[in-house]
Amino acid sequence: MSPNLLLPEASATQLLRRRVLGAAGTLLLVGTYLFLVITQPAGIVEGLGQGVALATFAAYLIAAVLLLLAVLPDLPVSALTLIPVALALNIILGQFVGSVMVPLYLDSMGTVLVGFLAGRRAGAATGVLSTLIWALFAPTVLPFAAGAALVGFLAGTAARYGALRRPYLAPIAGLVSGVLVGVVSSPVAAFVYGGTSGVGTGAVVAAFRSMGDSLLSAVTKQALISDPGDKAIVFLIAALLVFALPKRLSGSFEFIRRYKVLGKSGNK
Amino acid sequence: MKRRIADLHPFTVLCLAVLTVSVATAASRWWLNCAVIVLCLAVGAVAGKSRKLAALSGAIMLPTLLSLLMIHGLASQETSAVIAVWGPILLTLGGVEIAMALALRTAVLVVAGLLCGLLIDKHQLVAAIDLSPAPPQAGYLLASTLFLLPQMMEKQHAIGEAQALRKAGTGRGLAGWLQRLRLRAVPLVLSSVQDAHDRSVHLAARGFPARGEHSRLRQVADSQIQRGVRWVALLCSVLVPVAILLPLGGAS
Repeated sequence: MSPNLLLPEASATQLLRRRVLGAAGTLLLVGTYLFLVITQPAGIVEGLGQGVALATFAAYLIAAVLLLLAVLPDLPVSALTLIPVALALNIILGQFVGSVMVPLYLDSMGTVLVGFLAGRRAGAATGVLSTLIWALFAPTVLPFAAGAALVGFLAGTAARYGALRRPYLAPIAGLVSGVLVGVVSSPVAAFVYGGTSGVGTGAVVAAFRSMGDSLLSAVTKQALISDPGDKAIVFLIAALLVFALPKRLSGSFEFIRRYKVLGKSGNK
Repeated sequence: MKRRIADLHPFTVLCLAVLTVSVATAASRWWLNCAVIVLCLAVGAVAGKSRKLAALSGAIMLPTLLSLLMIHGLASQETSAVIAVWGPILLTLGGVEIAMALALRTAVLVVAGLLCGLLIDKHQLVAAIDLSPAPPQAGYLLASTLFLLPQMMEKQHAIGEAQALRKAGTGRGLAGWLQRLRLRAVPLVLSSVQDAHDRSVHLAARGFPARGEHSRLRQVADSQIQRGVRWVALLCSVLVPVAILLPLGGAS
């Protein structure tokens, strides 16, 4: 039965269209990543370097938008109303953390929260939308949309397979997600921005470069140092927030009930 | 002139920005990048946003430039002339040139992107997305986020004041900071999720998301010329970089 009695069920053509869009987005993302890692183009400012930067930027952004178009029409109203709250939380908590000298980002808190409550599709959509809206204030984040989508997707996947049934599992899932997100996002930092994503991270990249690493290798190692810790903390805090929600509220999300995300006690 | 800029369709502004960034990146000429930045600042000045544009661009570009100088200037693997030496750290001419070229390339994206954000009226952008073939949910999500953001900022501020009044979360150091974060985040998240849940019930009862034709109070000015400009800009943002880069590919 349709989740909304006033709306018609999606037709087979619409479903096929969404699957094609999703598959195209995933293929584009994976293909671009593999191409960059295998070929490791040299010369990031001269010759074809600017072409690689342009192609990487476009491919990552287009892949994220295709994934967004594939999942957006499928989302239930409960997820759609939660997404703007999550986007605002990403910005507010990100700013609050950024205002003090604590080496954390916490700017994907809302994305992870949606992934935990509404599933991986909603999480991925939140990641992409968060980046697109944030780009109105900081355009350099645009090509990182695919990485942000991956954070939401992995949060939803972790919740689906039981990461919230024990409190200690959430940071472990965050740690693993951080590794994957760091690996996927590093070609953007390396080939589009020449390895930079901030002064602090730039110093780490510079240290690896001075030890003789290639740019992609140095950026990937820096990402593997920064991202897993940040994501472990974000996943833990988001999990604690979900535990703090009244069961009446968390149980209103179909994803939580269907996959018994909070274990048996959380679904009453 | 200011009026003309304000009357542009949001998608026209975005398409022109895409064209500018893609051509400037593909060409990778310092004088072209500088010209684009100056042109963007001039357009910003005409629209009365030059100070904000310069401040925002500076806030993004300064850390980027420092970081690029560290990565390419100090830790360069180039064998070019050495400008300065501090123990094991070398500042090379080739490294500084690469860092400056990358910074200029990034600056074009930053200045053009921020100019778009400043020129486009958010209400017009939401209306334009609603009128476009994009899924109806996209317009709702953009509108809802942009209007929820100030409300939630205010709510977060009020929660902070309330916690301060009851002298909660006044500890120092990392523990104090974590307590303050918890005391602000938990009520904010719980109340916001509750509000979102209440809103979803009302929206679902009204048949959201509405499909098909529906009336809108806000109209977005558009014209045949602007539609043409958008198509040409999008086409050129693909074809011009290909035309610039193909001879380089053949030569290498």
